[in-house]
Order: sequence, then structure tokens, then C-alpha cells
Amino acid sequence: MSAQALKGHLDGMLLAALDDGPRHGYAVMEALRVGSGGRFDLPTGTIYPALRRLERAGFVHATWSEEGGRRRRVYELTPSGRRMLDAERHAWREFSAAVTALLGPHQRPVTP
Amino acid sequence: MESYLAEVAGRLIGPARARRDILAELAAGIADAADAHAAAGMDPVQAAHAAVAEFGGPDQVAGGFRAELAAAQARRTALTVLTSGPLIGALWVGAALAAGIDARPIPPWHWAGLPAGARPAVHLAMIALAIAIAGTLFTLATTGRLARWLPARPLATAAIAVGGTAPIDITLVTLFAAQMAGAPGRLAVLPAAAATASLGRLAFTARTARDRLIARGGGAPARQ
Repeated sequence: MSAQALKGHLDGMLLAALDDGPRHGYAVMEALRVGSGGRFDLPTGTIYPALRRLERAGFVHATWSEEGGRRRRVYELTPSGRRMLDAERHAWREFSAAVTALLGPHQRPVTP
Repeated sequence: MESYLAEVAGRLIGPARARRDILAELAAGIADAADAHAAAGMDPVQAAHAAVAEFGGPDQVAGGFRAELAAAQARRTALTVLTSGPLIGALWVGAALAAGIDARPIPPWHWAGLPAGARPAVHLAMIALAIAIAGTLFTLATTGRLARWLPARPLATAAIAVGGTAPIDITLVTLFAAQMAGAPGRLAVLPAAAATASLGRLAFTARTARDRLIARGGGAPARQ
């Protein structure tokens, strides 16, 4: 799936990737890749600016942490990020329910 | 991997600290990616190549950071204006008080000692200063958490913030120079300090304007 198709949903999915706990940038990317069954395969370098944007908006908080001799920036949801994630989930449910109703397998009533 | 990071570094424009921070994060990410490919069975050289390929081209990666770096740059400029403003203002007020202006109950915009021709300049400079303050506050708002709700042109509003301080600095320094020319040999500490501070801010304004012109003119690296 292309980056273009994901536009508009990337923020929500990044926040969702942090729902289970703090992760560094590469782990967020892996979570997206694995969680989507390999269907979301963005250039990894595009994840980092998006995380910084979320940080500036106050949705995530970043700290440097060192593990195994490698310093990584670890991202964590803030309370406002959690509220944003809830809002994104709600909006997605509404949207997908509407699209499913229109594109789904049901036969549309045939007008005479 | 190093040459890839150097290529990205050459395309990043913004405050040095923010660029270092971004490069350190990318370096760790590429190392993580290489580890993941090595764990999947690649030899180290292949793994490094795969990691770089996975990250995307240097233009794409650096381009992704452009908005964030612009916001960081604009925020730093606005903070400089915000913190230096009251200090420079206090120095000039101190200089005016030391000169005995408070002995005459005249509002400062009707200074008796002000040459008639300088009055419109002072008025215009005051208006520019008000615009500068508005630009400063708007820049700080749009590069912080309010960024979600406000449309942001951070570099443009930061340019207004810093550019708006130029007329008052030019006016005050000119008046100071005229005063010195008219009555030489009576250089007091406070007016000299105030004029120096204003000149310093003018230099900062000029540098900001130059960096912005360079950044607009094809994205050549402004400062390595």
C-alpha cells in the first residue's frame, strides 16, 4: 500500500503502535509492518518526521534511552495522545461502517 | 551507511542541535534495520545496503523533516526576539531615565528633545514593534502545541517577528548617534549599552534574513 493511500491515517496508526507501551522509531515501523501483515511498507525514513510532528503537537513524549550501547529516541503516548487515539478510532469506525454499508457484499434493492 | 547519513545531513537546513538530534536518531534506526536484516540471514554488507534501501532516498527522508526543522528554526528566532526584547527595552528606558527624561512630565512619544523629523519615524517604529510582538507570539503558538489548530507559516511569521524590531533599533541607534554627534564626549554607560544591544539585534535580524533568503534560493545548506 502506498504512502499516499495511508495519508490521513498515518498519525492514528502511529499512535496505535504506541498503545501497548513506549517504542523507538524502528520498533514503531516494525509494529506497523507486522500489524498490517506486511501490507504497510512505507520507507522507514518517513516514520521519523511523522513521530516528531506528533511530538510537537503534544501527542507523544520522546526521551533518549541507551540500551545495548545504542542510543535511541523512545516515544510514549501522552494523555492527549491517548485521547487523540480514541478519537481516531471512533472516527475510523464510523467511516469504515459507512463505506462497508455502501461497498459491502449486500445486494442493493433493485428499483423497478 | 555513513555516506547515506552524510547525504541526508547535507540536505537538512535548520538549527544545528535539531539536525544533530535527527541524525543521531536516524543512525540508530538504520543500525536497528541492519540488525534486523542480519538476523534474517543476510551478511553484514548486504544487511547495511538493505537497511539504507529500506529508509528511502536522502531527498525523501530529509524532505520529510523540512517542516519540523523550519518550525524549530522559527521557534528559536521567536524565542530570541521574546527574551532579548524586554532587555533591550529596559536598557533604553534606563538610558532615558538616566538622561533625566522623567524630570519632565511629558509622555515619551512627545519627547521635547526629539528632533521634529524623528517623530514620524518613532511612530512607525512603534507600529512595527507592535507587529513584531504579534508575530513573535503567533510564531510561538504555531510552532508549539497550538500547531494542530492554527495554520502555520513559521518561517514567514518569524521573519515578521524579527524584522519588526529593525525600525525601532535603527531609529534609536540613529537618534543616539545624532545625540553623540551633537554633544560628543559625554558617552554614558547605559545609552552605550542600549545602542550596542540594538546593534546586536540588528545583526541578528540581518543574519536571519540572509539565512531565509539562502534557504528559499534552492535549499543550499545555510550553515553546516
